[in-house]
Formats: sequence, structure tokens, C-alpha cells
Amino acid sequence: MTAAENLAYGDPGLALTGLWSESFAAVASHHATPDQRRRWLPASVAPLATVALYEGFGRSPREYRTFIRVSPDGSVQVSGRKVAVPLAGAAESILVVGTDVETSRLRAVVLGADTPGLRVQADTGNTALGAAALARVDIDVDVTGEHLLGGIDTDRTALERSVNRLRLLVAAAEIGTSQRAIDYGAKYATERIAFGRPIAGFQGVSFRLAEAQIRVDAARLEMLDAADLLDRGGADKADAAVTKAVNYAGEVAMQSTRDAVQVLGGHGFVTDHPVELWFRCAVALAVLDTDPLCSSFEAAL
Amino acid sequence: VIARRERRDFGLSKSLTEYAAALREWSVEACRPYAREADSRHAPPSDWPKILDTAPVEFPRWDRPGQHYPDFEEGHWVRELVFEESLCYGDPWPQWVLSPGIGHLVVDAMGTDEQVERWYTPVIGGGSQTAFGLTEPHFGSDTSLVATTATRDGDHWVLNGTKMYCSLGAIAAYAVVFATTDKPAGPSAIAAFVIPAGTDGFIVAKANESKLGIRSAQTAELRFENCIIPLDHRLGWTSEGEPADKPGKSGRGGAFAALSNNRPNISAIAVGIAQASVDVAAEVLAERQPEFTPERWSVVQAEITRMDDALDRARRLNYRAQSAADRGTSNRSLPAMAKAYAPETCERVIRRCMQLLGPEGASEEFLLEKWHRDVKILDIFEGTGQIQRLIVARGLMGAAVN
Repeated sequence: MTAAENLAYGDPGLALTGLWSESFAAVASHHATPDQRRRWLPASVAPLATVALYEGFGRSPREYRTFIRVSPDGSVQVSGRKVAVPLAGAAESILVVGTDVETSRLRAVVLGADTPGLRVQADTGNTALGAAALARVDIDVDVTGEHLLGGIDTDRTALERSVNRLRLLVAAAEIGTSQRAIDYGAKYATERIAFGRPIAGFQGVSFRLAEAQIRVDAARLEMLDAADLLDRGGADKADAAVTKAVNYAGEVAMQSTRDAVQVLGGHGFVTDHPVELWFRCAVALAVLDTDPLCSSFEAAL
Repeated sequence: VIARRERRDFGLSKSLTEYAAALREWSVEACRPYAREADSRHAPPSDWPKILDTAPVEFPRWDRPGQHYPDFEEGHWVRELVFEESLCYGDPWPQWVLSPGIGHLVVDAMGTDEQVERWYTPVIGGGSQTAFGLTEPHFGSDTSLVATTATRDGDHWVLNGTKMYCSLGAIAAYAVVFATTDKPAGPSAIAAFVIPAGTDGFIVAKANESKLGIRSAQTAELRFENCIIPLDHRLGWTSEGEPADKPGKSGRGGAFAALSNNRPNISAIAVGIAQASVDVAAEVLAERQPEFTPERWSVVQAEITRMDDALDRARRLNYRAQSAADRGTSNRSLPAMAKAYAPETCERVIRRCMQLLGPEGASEEFLLEKWHRDVKILDIFEGTGQIQRLIVARGLMGAAVN
């Protein structure tokens, strides 16, 4: 998480695209059977692959409505819709996380991009995160049992943990983005002169940045706490903790990047400075995993 | 379907209410489909006059002299408010293309009778646009920092400096540019100059700045390099120099007062865009209701209502300020309150709607991501939210506020 935060400090879009492009290998290598590992994770350069996670509607992984059914004959039926799947258009394999209809617990399947019934709807463009080429994936497929990640008896708790780690990466990226925006705004505020002094001398400016920093620190602590819960294996608690941490980090990032734009004023609104990019990235990341139960609309006044 | 509160009329006359409804409907049908194009081209749709010709109601157009608002009981400022909000409900791009600019308003406020006759009257008659240059790279809110210089050289002025965010700077017939005639003398030496397009040394450094939002609004970066203009191009001056009697209707203070009264119009743009976002989101969400758990769905509905309510609060502050402006009883605080309130709250409304739409809420499939980029400038230009708070604070506590 610390790595993700600091990569996002450089550029949130590229950082997440990089991390997401590795996510298939990270999850698959952890859960695959030795045979699957040989097939999906060749020792040489791995083919481009991705993980399909998000569904929207505030669903946490335990509520995913992409259903995976293992039939008595061993075949596997998968149906559902995944959204904001990074790099789906170019991926050769897609790891789809869904709910096992039998056990109501998480399961995952690895599908080739050419699987009949798998439809990737190309990226329509996004306010940011262009490099990630987010796409919608509709799934209605029937495949052999070999596609079940980790086989029929895979460790579901471990899979939940892997999925939640992926979700938490977004919180880390939001925090890195926020921190960068605050640092940039703070530096600008000490250099920009208005009404006879650096604008940092006005509380209307400095308090906004100070409050943003307080929120970011709170969000970072919460994110690290959730990561700790994940590491220690408290699956029940961890799920809710990740949802809350991700949602709070999103709120914090949207507000702190907008405050950074505000501090730069007109300069914040032009592309000569990078804060407008962070402003866009923050909202693009925040919408990925918003649970309406975790935050609410607050008027500014 | 998400149950919505009834649209309030805020005491407006029936004719203005109907006018607003017709304008809203038309802006959605005729203007909104060009929103993406305006954004990606960084320019209005190429056939914008034809698009505007399809409007079912009349409004002033600088490109169509003779078109006016219909008569309403309401005064100028309230009518403007209703117009801006309704027009921008479709998308804000027509707003920027309809504007004749504000340079000529400064001429009217600060110019001699001759200057008003020469540079204001023809513009009001229609057919041209005017540019305005005040902001420079090193200042925005603190206008006393004007560093563009105007040096007298016999019967001419020589201007040097850089201006950014000059609305219509690359396309207007002339630009009204603020420059200092004596930097050490401070704000009192800042004067306004009319610089016709094409004057030697009037350089368009960027025809349209690369912006986060309102990309089709033509804001230019202008550079003046030994730009020479006649003596009488300084507002308030004649070819003989400065007249003995105080020229102009209201001077620089008057020019800034006109800008102050315009502030609620900026809020109205924000309210129009934010209301569009809520309405679009509510419609999409209603179709997706079965995908939500009942608990989440009830929160979604409640949030839509709360956002509608917040927008009504913004409208009330707008109407109060502009009713007062029409009656001549406004002050600096009323428009400042209106402008402090709406833009930031509208930003939050739009981003909340994007969140409710979920992982695709930031995709270009919807216009919300564009509106989220567009709305941000409204809390910055024509006085930042921080400056508005300062004005309100001074109204409350006077000189103790510094």
C-alpha cells in the first residue's frame, strides 16, 4: 500500500495502470494450482491479462452478482457484468471474480478473451485514467472446470483477501494523489504573492490545505489499518474496513484535489499545472468503489 | 422512478416561468447534443448560429442585431439569472458563444461620451464582441498588482506586458486592457485602454488556453510588445489628454460594481449545470433501481432530494441578490453570498451524482464528467470563493477584517 501511494504521488493514472496490469499475475500466482500456474503464468514475459472486479451499485465483493455455478459434470457457468475493467480490450486473459451460487462465497475464473459469451465493450473514454482503458465486460459463458482459479477446493478466505488488497490499492492511490496535490498547493501558496504577502498567510488558503492534510493523514491511517486487518486474516472485519477506507480515501481525494485547484486559482484550471489532472483522477478513482452507505452528499455551506 | 419535489417558481411571473421552461427544454434537445464536440474541439460547434436559430424563444444575440428578450415584469438582473440557469441546463457551451464580452461595459463605465459613442454604442447595437484583459500570470484576485505598463510617448501610449484569461481575446474587435501608468504609484495609476485587434505589438500568445473545463470558451493569453495606441484610447481621456472634469459615468469603481452584480449569474450557471447532473443521474439510476439493495436505494433517493434542496437554497440567494439589484438596493454582500454558495456546492452535487452512477460515472458515456470539469472555474473567476467570503466578512465586521 505504501508503494502504491508513493507511485500515485508521481502519477495516479500510470501508477494504477501499472499495478492493475500486474494484478492478474499477483492474484493468479497466489491462488492457481501448479498446472494453472504453468498455463497462465509462463516463466517468460506473461501475456497481458487483467482482473474484473467492480460491479457498481455499492456492492462489496460479498455482494457481487456475477454468478459462478459449478455443475455436477464439472463444467462452470459464469454470468454477470463487470465494469471499469482495466485494459480489458487488450487483455488475453481476464480473471473474473464472482459469487459461487452454491456457497455464496467468492470464486474466480480465468477466461480467455476469445471465450464465446465474453463480450468486452470498448472504452468510451474517461475523465482521467486514460492509460487504464477501462471497459465493460459482459459475461455469459460455459467453460470447463480447468478455468476455476485454484480448482474446486480453493481457499476462499485467501481469495477474499487478495480481492480486498486490490480494492485497497485504489485507496492508496487516492491518498498519494491527495498528498501530491496538497504539497503542490502548499508550495504554490508560499510563493504566490497577493495583497502584500504569500497567500499562505491567509487563513482562507492555509486552513483549507491544513484541513486537507489532516484528512489525508486520517485516511492513510485508516487505509493502513485495513491493510493490517487483511494481513492478520480477519476476513469479516477486513471486508467492511476496506470498504470504509476506500470510500473515505475517495472523499478525501476529491476534496483535497479540488482545494489544490482552488489554491492555484486560474493557474489550477489550466493544463500548464498538473493539479487539474489530479482533480480528474481523484473523482475517476472515487467512483470505482463508492458505497452510498459510506458517505453522503454534503453541501459546501 | 425517483420521486422529485415540485419545481418551485420562486415568485417569478408566469411569462418568465414559461420562458424558462421553453429555454430549458430547447437547450437539452438542441444544445446538449453538441456538448462533447464543443469540449473536444475547444471551440463551439462550427454551425452554432444555426443551432441557436432553432430556439423557440427570443434572446439577445450579438451576431443577430435586433434580437432581444421579450418583456417581463421582472427587472434586468432577475431575468438574466433565469436566462443563464435555463440556458446552461442543456450545457454551458451556448453561454460562452452568446456573450458579447465585457470590454464595452468597461468603456461605458469609464469612458468619455465620445468613447462610449465610439466603442460602446455600436457593440450594444449588435454585430461584434469585445475582449477584457485584467488578469496576469502573477496575479488574479489582487488587481493592484497590474504589471502591464502603459508609458506615454508624446501623443501615444506604449503598452508592454502579458495578460491571461482574456475572454474573447483572440477574436474580439478590440480588447480593453488594464495597465499601470506608474507602477510605484500603486492602484491609482491603473487605467484601462482600448486596443483594437490587429494593432502592431498586440500579440495573441494563445488563442484559447488549454483548460480543465469550459474548453469552448475562448480565453486567450495576450502579449503586448511595444504596442502603440493613440492618447484617446485610454478610457476617460481625449486626444488632448485628461479632461478637467471627471470623465466617465462611474469610473473604475463603477466597472467593478457591474462585475459584482454579475456574480449571481455565475452562480446561476453552476445551478443550471448541477441541476442537469441531478436530473440525468436520477433518470439513469431509476432504470437501474433493481440492481441496488433496498437499503442503498433509499439512500440514493434521499440523496437526490437533498441535492435538489441544496440547489433551491442556492437559487434563493441568487434571486434575493438580483431582486435587490433590480430595485437598486443591492450591496456588495448579497451577490457575494450568492456566488460563495452555489459554485462549490454545485461541484459537490455533480461529483456525488458521478459517485451514485458508480464505476462508469466518470466515463465519457455521460456528460457529468464534463460538467464536473466545467463547473470548477465558477468558484474561481469573477472573484474566488475566498474573495466572496472576504466581502461577506467585511459586510459583517468592517475594517476589522483584513
